[in-house]
Amino acid sequence: MFQILVALADGEKHGYAILKDVARRTADRVRLSAGTLYGNLSRLEGAGLIAESTRRPELVLDDERRRYYLLTEFGRAVAVAEAERMEDALVQARAKKLFRKAKLA
Amino acid sequence: MAKSSESLSQRIFRTLLRALPFDFRVNYQGEMEGVFREQQREMEERGGFLEALKLWKETIVGIFTTAPREHWQILTSDCGYALRMMRKNFWFSAIAILTLTLGIGANAAIFSVVRAVLLRPLPYPNPQELIFIRQQEKKIGVDDLGLSVKEIEDYRAQNRTLAGLAEYHSMSFTLFGHGDPDRVRTGVVSANYFDLFGIQPLIGRTLLPDDEKLGAPPVLLLSYEYWKNNFGADLNIVGKTFEMNDKVHTVVGVLPPVPQYPDENDVYMATSACPFRTNKMHLEDRNMRMMEVFGRLKPGVTVAQSGADFSAIAAGLKAAYPKSYPENVGFTSVTNPLQEELTRSARPTLLLLLAAAAFVLLIACANVANLTLARMARRERELAVRSALGAGRGRLLRQLLTESFLMALAGGALGLLLAYGSLQLMTDFVGRLTPRAREIHIDSGVLLFALLIALGTSIIFGTLAALFSRADLTASLKEGSTGAGSGRRQGRVRNALIVCQIAFSFMLLIGAGLTVRSLYKMQQVHAGIEPQRVLALRATLNWSKYADAEKTRLVVSKLLERVQAEPGVVSAAISSRYPFEPEAITGGPESVSLSFLIEGRTLEPGEAPPVTTFASVSPDYFKTLGIPLRAGRLLAETDKDKAPEVVVINETAQRKFWPHEDPLRKRVSGDGGEHWATIVGVVGDVREFGLDKAPAPEAYVSQAQSPQPSALLVRTAAEPRGMQRALTGAIHDVDSQTAVTHVLTLEQARYESMASPRVTASLLGIFAGLALVIASAGIGGIMALMVSQRVREIGIRIALGARPETILQMVIGRGLFLAGLGIAIGIVGAIGMTSLVKSMLFEVPPTDAFTFAAVGLTLLAAAVFASYLPARRAAAIDPNEALRAD
Repeated sequence: MFQILVALADGEKHGYAILKDVARRTADRVRLSAGTLYGNLSRLEGAGLIAESTRRPELVLDDERRRYYLLTEFGRAVAVAEAERMEDALVQARAKKLFRKAKLA
Repeated sequence: MAKSSESLSQRIFRTLLRALPFDFRVNYQGEMEGVFREQQREMEERGGFLEALKLWKETIVGIFTTAPREHWQILTSDCGYALRMMRKNFWFSAIAILTLTLGIGANAAIFSVVRAVLLRPLPYPNPQELIFIRQQEKKIGVDDLGLSVKEIEDYRAQNRTLAGLAEYHSMSFTLFGHGDPDRVRTGVVSANYFDLFGIQPLIGRTLLPDDEKLGAPPVLLLSYEYWKNNFGADLNIVGKTFEMNDKVHTVVGVLPPVPQYPDENDVYMATSACPFRTNKMHLEDRNMRMMEVFGRLKPGVTVAQSGADFSAIAAGLKAAYPKSYPENVGFTSVTNPLQEELTRSARPTLLLLLAAAAFVLLIACANVANLTLARMARRERELAVRSALGAGRGRLLRQLLTESFLMALAGGALGLLLAYGSLQLMTDFVGRLTPRAREIHIDSGVLLFALLIALGTSIIFGTLAALFSRADLTASLKEGSTGAGSGRRQGRVRNALIVCQIAFSFMLLIGAGLTVRSLYKMQQVHAGIEPQRVLALRATLNWSKYADAEKTRLVVSKLLERVQAEPGVVSAAISSRYPFEPEAITGGPESVSLSFLIEGRTLEPGEAPPVTTFASVSPDYFKTLGIPLRAGRLLAETDKDKAPEVVVINETAQRKFWPHEDPLRKRVSGDGGEHWATIVGVVGDVREFGLDKAPAPEAYVSQAQSPQPSALLVRTAAEPRGMQRALTGAIHDVDSQTAVTHVLTLEQARYESMASPRVTASLLGIFAGLALVIASAGIGGIMALMVSQRVREIGIRIALGARPETILQMVIGRGLFLAGLGIAIGIVGAIGMTSLVKSMLFEVPPTDAFTFAAVGLTLLAAAVFASYLPARRAAAIDPNEALRAD
């Protein structure tokens, strides 16, 4: 679900675009199917972390069946908190020399 | 080609989406199909079978992991909503749950009985192989003759269909050597008895073949309950000795806690240890019948085959020993599965009660359906708004069903508690009908049954409510909240449900009414005796001490002398049995009947010989019981052992066998002509075998001439119970080893003899009462709803001059109309059911006009009562308020 929030961080997207964005950023390590994607979108929408966008793109680009989702302020705050938590965890792991080999930052 | 395979994939995908909840699909189906289409297009560009497989795998896994989560979320949301609604409509919910509790509870209780008694197999290995063998004299109505030792030997030797044959009979003996002398119910069995049933001992051993050899050292087996209650479950009990019947008995084992059939016994002994069984008469005389016989079929043999086998052996015995098997009595031998045998008498009553409980449940269901419909009518606006906001009909139905199921579950849980609470009552009641009663308990099967009923009823009334709610919800938004013409179809359904409830209630009330009336008639019957202040005691002699007739005569004479000398005793008698004895009630006249010969009369070919019940009594028997003399004389002290044999008959015997002649001085023989007795008197009839049974022909012989002491009957000047101690003391003065048991007054015995019909009537009455309450509540609810829906109309009528009485009449009249319709249908139903109850009634026809009229009036009165409050409220409507309200 975090990946979906990150996908929406830089602007509204429809479902398929979210799916592609997540796959690209994680190098296909996280692959969402239609079922998983919309199950998560439903929960995120229910929790108020995302919302359906009222704006539509230019008519020629629009597909009426597609709905566009955007990150709400609350959703952004939650995503930020989660990212900071993960960053903390990474710093601590590095300090404890968890990684044997040097990793590219 | 690509296009058609794409559309096939899309079709498959759309089918898979049906796993997801309806609401979810409404929201996201379109987008999901779009996403899947894009993914497919990408996959086709990349190409390869593996890619396609990967996509389908991810898609299917994704859908089937999301679906359960979404369904669960909706369920928890519906449950939360349902609980809030139930709290909001507290009284409705409470009434509905109470109704369901009664309906489900009654069914669970009766089902627990039916399951234990009729459905569950006997708790022995391969119980379907166990059979019970009976000898009958069909033509003269003797259903169970018993078997003699000689007959058992013959069947054992000649049968070809049994793997084993075991004998059983039960006696009361006195056990010495453990505290006070203890009367013990003793099962006397053949050595293979426990092996036949597959019973392994808890400690020690069961019987060995050597144990039943004549002269073998007597051994005892203790039942689990007797061992636990009397010996503190002493593990060292094996080897201990006790004295019984003047012999030392050694305990060899203890039985496990299994149900015992056909009777509960305290101890068991081998046949060789029973003084009765081993005396010369029983061993040699083929006619001394007192044993029961069980068998286990050989593998692959059917009950029918064994029946034919035994029937053939019986025919052979008849041919070989004509003196023991009179002509034309229809002597034969039959076999029955043991399970059936043990439940025969219980079956009709239990099935009747199951039907009654099912009726109550149907009535409860109809009631809750009606209440739900009524509630939905009030919630029409809410439902319409929700529908307008996007909730589909399916979603609403699901939510309604969740509410219904929660109520039914609550009703079911409480109903189970009710059933559990009534367990003891059921066990006591059914215990009179079958020994399987002790197996009744609430187990997982009953829980499952209750759950299924709860599920079933919730589906029925939830679906009914949803189906018949308004088809066009948006139209109801346009109308007022209580539109004048709203839900006409719904109203018809509700009325139909009420009419059905009334009809079922009527039938149940008729059943209860008829059995109650029957019971009342039974209680009014004059038994033919004066039971007030008569005490009956079972006095069991130490049989081995009084092995011959002379000794028995002596002790009987001493007993009577001693008892009659006791202050407060008006008269006393000894007899072989007495009226309303439990064995007489359950066994019926057939259990003490024999065929006899009338001097000077020969039987036509094929004619069945005359049959009478008989009893051996001392001279004061008739005086003690208050049986009137009708002709001739009673038995007297002069009818001693060496005097000519005499017999006294009752009026029924006279009517049946000497309808046109005087029976006095006629001679009869009970042993095929060897000995003849002269009829010296005729006494009044006594309904010995139950108040609901016509008196059977009876022959009384003198105890002095045919000693068979079993019961002591004492008429007392004061309260008989107060004399119990003194009388027991008097008996023990004569013989301290005599066990005195089953002490009760004849009035008590009379009361107890009606226990079974009394409890049946009570249970039916309870069910009928429940039905009446539920149906009345139903009518009240419907009338209240009708009034609330027609407030405007009624307000207009009042404004236009209608008087309160008119409004009252209108509402109550409607209630009466519905009740009347239900009663009419109920009458037809009740008449159709007459065959079911006929056998349980006494002097009451199944279409008894009085009962039908009383029940009809009761239901009409209930309808008036239930409609009254709503009618009052209708009559008190303020027309101004009514017209202003929307």
